Amino acid sequence: MVGSGLRIFNAYPAFARKGEMFCCYPFEHKPIPDWLTFGGWLGGARHWHFAMMWVLVVNGLIYLGFIYLHGEWRDLVPRKGDIRDSWQMVKFYTFRRKDHPHQGKNNALQKTAYFLLPVFGALAVVTGIAIWKPVQLSWLTAMFGGYVWARYWHFIAMLAIVILSIGHIFMVFAVDPYSLTSMITGNYDPSLSPEARNARPFYHLFPKRVRPVSAPPPPEAT
Amino acid sequence: MSTDPRDFVSINGIDRRDFLIRGSGLVSAAFLAACDSRGPKAADKLLKYAERKNLVVERKLFRHTSMDVVQAGAHEAGNKLPSYFIAPTVPVWDESVGGKWALEVSGLVGNPVRLTLEDLQKLPQVSNRVNHYCVEGWTAVETWTGVPFTELARLVRADPQARYVDFQSFDDDYHESWDIESAMHKQTVVAYGLDGKMLEPAHGAPARVYSPVKLGYKNTKYLTKIVFMPKMNGGYWSDQGYEWYGGT
Repeated sequence: MVGSGLRIFNAYPAFARKGEMFCCYPFEHKPIPDWLTFGGWLGGARHWHFAMMWVLVVNGLIYLGFIYLHGEWRDLVPRKGDIRDSWQMVKFYTFRRKDHPHQGKNNALQKTAYFLLPVFGALAVVTGIAIWKPVQLSWLTAMFGGYVWARYWHFIAMLAIVILSIGHIFMVFAVDPYSLTSMITGNYDPSLSPEARNARPFYHLFPKRVRPVSAPPPPEAT
Repeated sequence: MSTDPRDFVSINGIDRRDFLIRGSGLVSAAFLAACDSRGPKAADKLLKYAERKNLVVERKLFRHTSMDVVQAGAHEAGNKLPSYFIAPTVPVWDESVGGKWALEVSGLVGNPVRLTLEDLQKLPQVSNRVNHYCVEGWTAVETWTGVPFTELARLVRADPQARYVDFQSFDDDYHESWDIESAMHKQTVVAYGLDGKMLEPAHGAPARVYSPVKLGYKNTKYLTKIVFMPKMNGGYWSDQGYEWYGGT
């Protein structure tokens, strides 16, 4: 979706309405490098985009349906103190705090990211519909401030999704590769958690060596 | 025969490490070949299928009451409106070759007509200040003056069997066919005026079809013929792989 979208964008790599200027994009009329695009040409990229959009929507609905039925949405809704706790995580990752803040299933920074991702996903879908049908659904397009702005929010939503995804994949490998198992099987060994290891990106990737404690002698028979 | 794996190495001259390196190289090469920037060829069928299904969705979504609305404060594009044609130079109607220009409206109609520019101007006139949506992603605000398409359909007594309309031009073989709903939308006009002036050759003089309900490429310029048809008839860009519907 991102690659074909960028190919479509490259047909007019700007936001301004003809005869106007656009305030909020510093790279007007600078195309995206070809190697980041997909689809080969405008028409081809549009076919990919308009076919794969259904996969994205169905995938998103399955995800939302699943976390609704399993109650796991409760883990993701923002709560009081999440921003403060996320900031503590940032401080820890930047060595301005010594000990790992409370991890739980997901730490506060993760929770914020996992909450924002579906929000930006939904924004990408809805703004996409708004620029697909700016006349038939003109009320929707107007909600985003008209076609030019809807197209801009569509771009921003894509950018946010890309940044969150890259950050997520980086952190999996740099901080908690053990979670790969739990992503697939659901099992998780708490002794390997980032909190237990006090893990920052590329720091304490391996579990702490625990000195084996000799077992107490069996109680004597009476 | 020995089954020592080292025999394989000595015979073929490769070991496991070589095998992995060469093997992964081969797999990536195959991937790259099958999946160039256009995507795998095998996906073409799937994409065509999606386009057909999207067409059904888009036609179901179409409402005659949905109107294009220009945002408050939007500026007219004026001379910033790009000009496109497929001929090597701006197409200009040559009276010495084709006689006086006239628009033929025919096909599945009770009363086929030929209308000169003066005839068109005598028909009911509207001016629509609307957006132009280009397939490339840009938009432009312009005021188009002309005859509502519904007036032409009434004049020629279009047959209810005519589910499609072909708009043909003298810009080489440029034409695009439309579904009848989009043609009968209130904002679809056969335009001869732009921003209060007569249409210039750069923008499709003497007359062109204009509607915000279709992407720019569907709005044939340099009109010669409007044909009501029972079936769709492709189009210049649609035949080159852009989607046929091109609706907004």
